[in-house]
Amino acid sequence: MRFMVCLKPVPEPGTVKVDPKTHTLRRESATLILNPADRYALEAAVELKEKVGAEVTAVMMGPPNAIPLLKEAYACGADNIYLLSDRAFAGSDTLATSYVLSLAVQKLGPFDLIFCGKVSIDGETAQVGPELAAWLNWPSVIWVKDIRPAQNGFEVVRLTDEGEEELEVRPPALFTIEPEINDPRPPSIKRLLEMLTREVPTLTAEDLDADPSHLGLEGSPTRVLDVFTPTYEEKKEILEGPAEEVVEKLVSILKERGLI
Amino acid sequence: MAEGVAIFAEWAEEGLHPVSLELLSEARLLADELEDKVQAYFLAPPDKETQAEILIRHGADEVFYVFHQCFEDFLDDVASHILAKMIRENSPEILLFPATARGQALAPRVAGYLRLGLTAHCIAFEIRKEDRTLVQIRPSFGENVMARIISLTKPQMATVRPGVFSKAKEDPTRTGRIKKIPLSDEEVKSALHIFKKHPRKAPKVDLAQARVVIAGGRGMGTKEFFAKLYELAELLEGAVGATRPVCHLGWISEEHMIGVSGHTISPKLYLGFGISGAIHHLVGIRNPGLIVAVNKDPEAPLMKKADVAVVGDVREILPLLIRRLKELKGESHEA
Ligand SMILES: Cc1cc2nc3c(=O)[nH]c(=O)nc-3n(C[C@H](O)[C@H](O)[C@H](O)COP(=O)(O)OP(=O)(O)OC[C@H]3O[C@@H](n4cnc5c(N)ncnc54)[C@H](O)[C@@H]3O)c2cc1C
Ligand SMILES: Nc1ncnc2c1ncn2[C@@H]1O[C@H](COP(=O)(O)O)[C@@H](O)[C@H]1O
Repeated sequence: MRFMVCLKPVPEPGTVKVDPKTHTLRRESATLILNPADRYALEAAVELKEKVGAEVTAVMMGPPNAIPLLKEAYACGADNIYLLSDRAFAGSDTLATSYVLSLAVQKLGPFDLIFCGKVSIDGETAQVGPELAAWLNWPSVIWVKDIRPAQNGFEVVRLTDEGEEELEVRPPALFTIEPEINDPRPPSIKRLLEMLTREVPTLTAEDLDADPSHLGLEGSPTRVLDVFTPTYEEKKEILEGPAEEVVEKLVSILKERGLI
Repeated sequence: MAEGVAIFAEWAEEGLHPVSLELLSEARLLADELEDKVQAYFLAPPDKETQAEILIRHGADEVFYVFHQCFEDFLDDVASHILAKMIRENSPEILLFPATARGQALAPRVAGYLRLGLTAHCIAFEIRKEDRTLVQIRPSFGENVMARIISLTKPQMATVRPGVFSKAKEDPTRTGRIKKIPLSDEEVKSALHIFKKHPRKAPKVDLAQARVVIAGGRGMGTKEFFAKLYELAELLEGAVGATRPVCHLGWISEEHMIGVSGHTISPKLYLGFGISGAIHHLVGIRNPGLIVAVNKDPEAPLMKKADVAVVGDVREILPLLIRRLKELKGESHEA
């Protein structure tokens, strides 16, 4: 079997810079880390591979300075790693991102399962996974917290707003992975060393036969018009001074308002 | 031509999901501004027609009631496929989804099928009248500011978390059209088969309904000290909420997160301890009664937004407050 894992490079919180004109994130300038939720997706794929026998391909759309993150994914058990990188991808929203990932599936597939993180910490839309499934016309299951091999495919448990559901899923299918599913393993030093001098294959828009009209800022249907800082009425009471007095004052305000 | 402000109407075992009525009230306002109609897409089992009627009485002009027994279960592939087909046929101008589990599974699939832009977790909308554009407002991804976002494709799609808008009022005299659309077994073939459901035993943290919310941020310093908030919550009969970093630090589960990525709350009293008040957090506090912030930095945004800004160290203020409230409780017991 063949599995694909989608890994997103995200700016380390606090290091993000935003393009003053387009208000999209400038990923080149930030320190990149692997999106935390994607570690669980990778681990889920690797654990399932160890159970059923499979090959795991990790794919990341991002700038060239994200390559160390892919090498780390290799050290955590991915068999193949690919960077999807092209200036034309810059500024992509979720539709454009999922389009590029769908091309990678065409190019590198066939795959039986695709694993995505539950949500990214920068975009935080949780859209790319199900959108990718739609480009491929595959079923998708979000918030998956357990996967077991079964007769005609897989049995998975998903979280819902009401509790949990167990489903049978016929592949090919895409899952977004709930962090409680596993404890991601640390990278193997041996595999990290192995990667030290290795080139990571990079696929460009041309390699992927991408339709330029779907790529990057131009190909993204959503646009940030402008940004603003909300203002608040200055109607507040400021309590300052020795802690005892402050607390006494606070308690009397709560009393006055009938809140205690 | 694109026409109509549409919502995805979600139903639950007990009836319509409350968020459906919240989306309807906002859709009604947008449609009135555009002098347009409100449509609801309602995918449900065959016995739910009364729920379709409820949608009409709460502001829908047209309900597309697509029914089949299979909708007893939530089949992502079937539901998104059918929605995409209906939306292609009816081409609404605007399409709102709830950011529930189902909504978050469906909306991006529909957007993917129809190659549409989709904005997640909006907290307000405006209409730009000259070109009938929906301006979607949400906290910006990178900065501590709000962003106005538009979509160049139609329908203009967005998701909205439960609790962001207030529920539409019922008007028993309202009339509208329910279009019943039966599905054939062929149309509902799924790659998914749900064979067991485990409803949650313990009730979910009900931050959305809580009258008092005690929230803590990174300024609480440690998991141990953060746990003191439960004591206060018990005294004030409130629920405990948190900022995102605190959830990620593992001081409390993500179910307690308040903000664009978590719950939207409307408490009578919100007490925030050691919280800076990033926009991502603040947008989760809707229509609060009284906001109290405790922070050693008087310039923190939450201190600016608060009605009562307590300048001080949480490690001093919180234990004192707990002690004082306990004393008061004791007094009233004696009385
Ligand atoms: C896409 C995206 C989505 C996000 N979604 C959310 C969300 O839904 N909810 C959310 O909360 N955040 C969210 N965030 C994160 C958000 O931007 C802020 O980083 C976060 O809310 C800050 O949390 P905090 O106030 O706990 O920590 P900090 O910003 O670090 O603030 C800590 C505060 O504690 C004060 N303090 C420190 N020590 C003490 C002390 N001893 N006594 C008193 N005060 C003290 C400090 O002065 C400071 O103001 C999101 C971010 C992004 C990029
Ligand atoms: N640039 C990317 N490259 C690879 N995978 C991505 C990328 N962006 C998003 N994903 C996947 O989609 C998931 C959800 O991301 P998001 O929609 O940004 O919240 C992530 O956890 C990744 O698995």
